[in-house]
Amino acid sequence: MRLPAFDYQAPDKLDQALKIKGELGGNASVLAGGTDILVNLKHRLFSPATLISLKNIKELRRIESKPDSVVMGAATTLAEMADNATLNEHFPVLIKAIRSIGAPGIQAFRGTLGGNICLSPRCLFYNQSHFWRSGKGSCHRTGGKECHALEGSESCQSICSADTVPVLVALSAQLTLAGPGGTRLMALSDFYTGKGETPFNILPEEILTEVRIPLPWAPISASYQRLAMRAAVDFPLVNAAAVAIVDKGKVELFRLVLSAVGPAPIVLKEAEAAIKGSAPSQEMIQTAGDAAFKAAEGSVVENASLSRQYRVKMAAALARRAVKEALGL
Amino acid sequence: MKKQLVNMTVNGEEVELAVYPNTTLLEMLRVELGLMGVKEGCSEGVCGTCTVLLNGQPVRSCLTLALEAEGSEILTIEGLTPEDGLHPVQQAFIDRGAVQCGFCTPGMILSSKALLDRNPNPSEDDIKTALSGSFCRCTGYTKILDAVKAAAAAHVDPSDG
Repeated sequence: MRLPAFDYQAPDKLDQALKIKGELGGNASVLAGGTDILVNLKHRLFSPATLISLKNIKELRRIESKPDSVVMGAATTLAEMADNATLNEHFPVLIKAIRSIGAPGIQAFRGTLGGNICLSPRCLFYNQSHFWRSGKGSCHRTGGKECHALEGSESCQSICSADTVPVLVALSAQLTLAGPGGTRLMALSDFYTGKGETPFNILPEEILTEVRIPLPWAPISASYQRLAMRAAVDFPLVNAAAVAIVDKGKVELFRLVLSAVGPAPIVLKEAEAAIKGSAPSQEMIQTAGDAAFKAAEGSVVENASLSRQYRVKMAAALARRAVKEALGL
Repeated sequence: MKKQLVNMTVNGEEVELAVYPNTTLLEMLRVELGLMGVKEGCSEGVCGTCTVLLNGQPVRSCLTLALEAEGSEILTIEGLTPEDGLHPVQQAFIDRGAVQCGFCTPGMILSSKALLDRNPNPSEDDIKTALSGSFCRCTGYTKILDAVKAAAAAHVDPSDG
């Protein structure tokens, strides 16, 4: 498959990249590692006039250990993160999620953290060749008014298929978005709109520059679970992350996030509230499973290579496994 | 769309080429340089047949723009083969019957070489992880694992090739 024509710029400084993005807006796309966008370009899903490569911008490729957080440049590669001592010490669960992405070659050259966060949501009826899609006609995502996966749906139901996202949301990660007018901070959980056609809360002039994970006040125990057809080179069709701090026999912090069930990750707040504050118990596993089942039932549609029914059941199973591991039950 | 200059070292030789921005590394290696050992399979980063080594790391050349590889060192299967005979990993693949249709073989061998350079004594799981990005549709995985183990046991000199 050939790529469409585009112009290519590789500025050395973030300022220059922001200037180009500011001028071109939605006509320019950011090229971080290219492992997702180049495939989508080959399928003629995007048609930017210009690609702005981040490869020369050193400030976007760093892992910085601060007293209260770890800050990563958005163009840091997944392999650099997986090999980083600070991240391995504080967040082994994030390393597990990273290692499940693609294959070692994709993690090294050059799947990036920012690229995974901004991974274009996936759908069985969208991530196909131009020829394949032409047989079905347009959907919400390609300028049409219908959804091939869910009849009557008013918006696109594509799947947020990033492996790092549920883990980072559970770790309360924040993003820095830079634009010509300055930068703004946003909780990662607010970055996702829940609409597949416009999945991210980012302006056309902005570039995702940093990801910050606050350091927890006590050691965390955590779990990442995923369901996919294959162990490598495959996107999750349901995934879940749980993060807990158990101190003096009591659950002091508990986060449970379900993802790959719709266009945005889902924080299971009711289950979190029910589990937090008590001593870990077997009932908590069931509480989490029931909450995940309910959330998945209202979110999963028939748009992946596994059936809706199976993915909903597995959402409950993965939530149960995640809670079991995170709480040491 | 204007052509831009790109410099890199391919199989030990410095090359400077003018390429269109939408040229992938795969297209540059095959079309411009005639290195047909680099195979195009799925063209979307799934199958791993287009794997080449970029600064010693396996990468998918179909998902890499030629311009993104500026300044790097590229090794393809042609560059791995010494003037006389074969690289020990290539020989191990032949000895163990790890080549069937041969389409995945260049990618498999280069990924194996990168693994053995980094870890001369890999466990079976290490090998499986390193080769997890390469598909063999003849499903000859057992022989391929045997070949990598045999190459490792023969103490492959990492500087070889």
